[in-house]
Amino acid sequence: MNTEAQSISRALNIGPSILGTYRTEIAIAIAIVVLMLGVGAFIPAALSAGNFANILQAAAPLVIMSLGVLLVVLTGGIDLSVGSVFSLTGMVTALIMSWGWGSVPSAAAGLGVGLIFGSINGLLVTAVGLAPFVVTLITYAVAGSLAFIVTNGRSMGIGAPDFWLLNSGQLIPGIANYVLFCVAFAALLELALRKMTFGRWFYAVGSSANAAHLLGVPVKRTRFSAYVFSSLMASFAGLLTVSYILNAESTAGASLMLQAIAAVVIGGASLFGGTGSAIGAVLGALMITVIQNGVNLIGINSFWQGSVTGIAILIAVLIDRFSHK
Amino acid sequence: MSDWEERDPDAGRRNENCTASANESNRPQTLVSVRGLQKQFGATVVLKGVDFAVQPGQIHALLGGNGAGKSTMIRIITGDLTYDGGTVEFGSKRGDRPVVAVVHQELAVLPHLTLAENIGIVHARSFIEPYSARRAENIASKALSLIDPHLAATSLSRMGGDLTLHEAQIVEIARALSTGAEVLLLDEPTANLTVAETERLFAVLQRLAQETGIGIVFVSHRMKEIRQLCDVCTIIRDGRTVVNARPIADLTDAEIVRHMGQPAHRNSNSEAARTRSDHVEVTLVGPGIELPVHLGTILGLAGSPDGPSGLISTLIGKAGTSQWSLKGEGWPSRPTAPIASVRNGIGYVTGDRAHKGVLAQLPIIDNVLASRRIREKRRYISRSERAECGDLVRTLGVKVDSIWSVPSTLSGGNQQKLLIARWLGMPLRMVVLEEPTRGVDIGTKREIYALIRKMADSGTIIVWWSTENVELLEICDEILAFDTDGRCTGPLAHETYNEDALADLTGMAA
Ligand SMILES: Nc1ncnc2c1ncn2[C@@H]1O[C@H](COP(=O)(O)OP(=O)(O)OP(=O)(O)O)[C@@H](O)[C@H]1O
Ligand SMILES: [Mg+2]
Repeated sequence: MNTEAQSISRALNIGPSILGTYRTEIAIAIAIVVLMLGVGAFIPAALSAGNFANILQAAAPLVIMSLGVLLVVLTGGIDLSVGSVFSLTGMVTALIMSWGWGSVPSAAAGLGVGLIFGSINGLLVTAVGLAPFVVTLITYAVAGSLAFIVTNGRSMGIGAPDFWLLNSGQLIPGIANYVLFCVAFAALLELALRKMTFGRWFYAVGSSANAAHLLGVPVKRTRFSAYVFSSLMASFAGLLTVSYILNAESTAGASLMLQAIAAVVIGGASLFGGTGSAIGAVLGALMITVIQNGVNLIGINSFWQGSVTGIAILIAVLIDRFSHK
Repeated sequence: MSDWEERDPDAGRRNENCTASANESNRPQTLVSVRGLQKQFGATVVLKGVDFAVQPGQIHALLGGNGAGKSTMIRIITGDLTYDGGTVEFGSKRGDRPVVAVVHQELAVLPHLTLAENIGIVHARSFIEPYSARRAENIASKALSLIDPHLAATSLSRMGGDLTLHEAQIVEIARALSTGAEVLLLDEPTANLTVAETERLFAVLQRLAQETGIGIVFVSHRMKEIRQLCDVCTIIRDGRTVVNARPIADLTDAEIVRHMGQPAHRNSNSEAARTRSDHVEVTLVGPGIELPVHLGTILGLAGSPDGPSGLISTLIGKAGTSQWSLKGEGWPSRPTAPIASVRNGIGYVTGDRAHKGVLAQLPIIDNVLASRRIREKRRYISRSERAECGDLVRTLGVKVDSIWSVPSTLSGGNQQKLLIARWLGMPLRMVVLEEPTRGVDIGTKREIYALIRKMADSGTIIVWWSTENVELLEICDEILAFDTDGRCTGPLAHETYNEDALADLTGMAA
């Protein structure tokens, strides 16, 4: 009895080891390094500083979007509308700039798209009680078509001369903004999820909404905020992309929705809710980008990209599954 | 035998065979024999060498503390889990493998199928057999009427998801009985049943064992039931068999508890001298009754689950159409939502731990501290919560490797302890407990009684619903009874504070 109590207290007084908590994340990080070295073995240029910068730049919008999707997935939901919101944000921002408005109000209007669609998603899921898949399928379709309607399908250049600063400026000297945003958002979200009570609520809701509700967790508010956050992040990712390529297109986000969900799943989140981490989502997004980059560099027909990504998801999920056995 | 078996030609033939074998043969064939069974999950060794055998016609109690490995062994016998060492052998007069039916500890009623389908579904003989609703209903109705004729008559087309916990339990048992199995493995089947239902179940089990010679394995933490039903017992402890198929009459309660490795029953002195304050804290107002409740009262709710559920849902902020309300200074008349209840200092332990209780994917520390975070409006997760959680886990003797494991790796009784830990020692005004010791082993039950009494002594009102009348009589200061139709039949008078009076009031006199 006594020894049992002692062994329990010993186990309880040490915190969780980094290795234990971030097992999945470490495995993915290793996989990414292996992938990069593998590509580097064929194409030495893959390991150049220039290519690292390429990968980071290409990954940034996906990283930010994945963080948003992660929150929804944690609650056991899904957000299919992020790609469309991404596109629509870019179109609206560019359109408003074309009316002669400055960067800041145009970008704010772009974020407004995210706010509106996030709120619609959130309300339909919580207040009306529709299934997240159905709700976000609707907003995916609506936002996707609005992205064509606002400019009649034309792509739009960016009017404001200082808008590029959002992506490539340096708020902190020496670090490009897109890197800063990724790191800051990921760190803040990870901290909130681990160290704040409301962060734990996302997991609680995803684990058992019934049980959470009876415990006094504000289930509806938690769900609602997840959808708003997800759309806002998609919007922000849209702004970043437009700020980089200085051009807005109606189809810009078309492929991103599935990639964001894939990133979250690779990062160890369960689509049934209740598990996942911000760091995992970031690594998942990086992994997808590294694969795309490698496929390009090696010169494989880009039609293969989807297959390679699919296999990567399978491997990641299998690793996750067996590392928890 | 029951008419279900007479009409089913297959079952009829099987039964004849079995009866014959049980009577004729001098050496009845062992149905299941487990030798030196070993099992580990990851680094945790659960079974280190368990021996266990089930003979025909035997009702065999499988005992052990929470986390001893009872459910694990049952799932190995049914083939749900693989094992790492030892042997599991089957014997049968009918073939090489007896039909084994099981009632799992955590219920598995399919929510989108009707009650009839839930039972009939195990009877499909092949994939391509056309599904016959009539046949499913026949099977279901015959099996159900063995233990609950009322349910069989009224509820065959209700959806599984609409069943209450005890109805779901009956459905599961009926499903197992309907298979005509030679071996029945029942993992805490009575945990959700009322006294009357338990009586009926036991009568059926005893008849089956005597007349058809099937072997029954019965897991329970209720000593009274074990003695009433079982012939022999096997006790496992620390992953090994410590008592192997001994006649249960040979062992005293104290010996059984000792073999299970649990602390002997300490007579806590708080039992005797409990002084209650005269201050009426709150009045429960229901249909035709007003019950003043004093500070620190332990109020028992007895009777079938439908009755107390109205009162309980008012207390926990899920009022709906409930006719109950509260009256008292500073008390909301009906909390509007669970969060309002919690903020008002009303804690709640659900009776449905699998669906409404544990947060299965969250570490134990989050499960245990969620209520405290909400009640005390904690914004940040501080390091000190680890020690806090550790203390609670230790107080209740929850068997865990670390506070970071997830509840799905815990045994049923240990999960139950987590639910209680949520509210333990918090300065609350009221705690509502639904069957709080469900699945908790005998030693810890005592511990929990003492801890709850301590909470009451500190002024918390305890509302305790239980189907175990003995438990209520032992721990409660007052008992409110509900009859089988869910009507409140009023508080139990003090001069008739006994089991018979309670059985009368709840309409469950045998
Ligand atoms: N999937 C799993 N992973 C890790 N450990 C597990 C897993 N399943 C069960 N265990 C451990 O195995 C032990 C035995 O569990 P089991 O459910 O068999 O106990 P039990 O005897 O049925 O207890 P109870 O009376 O509480 O139902 C427990 O300590 C539990 O933590
Ligand atoms: Mg068990």
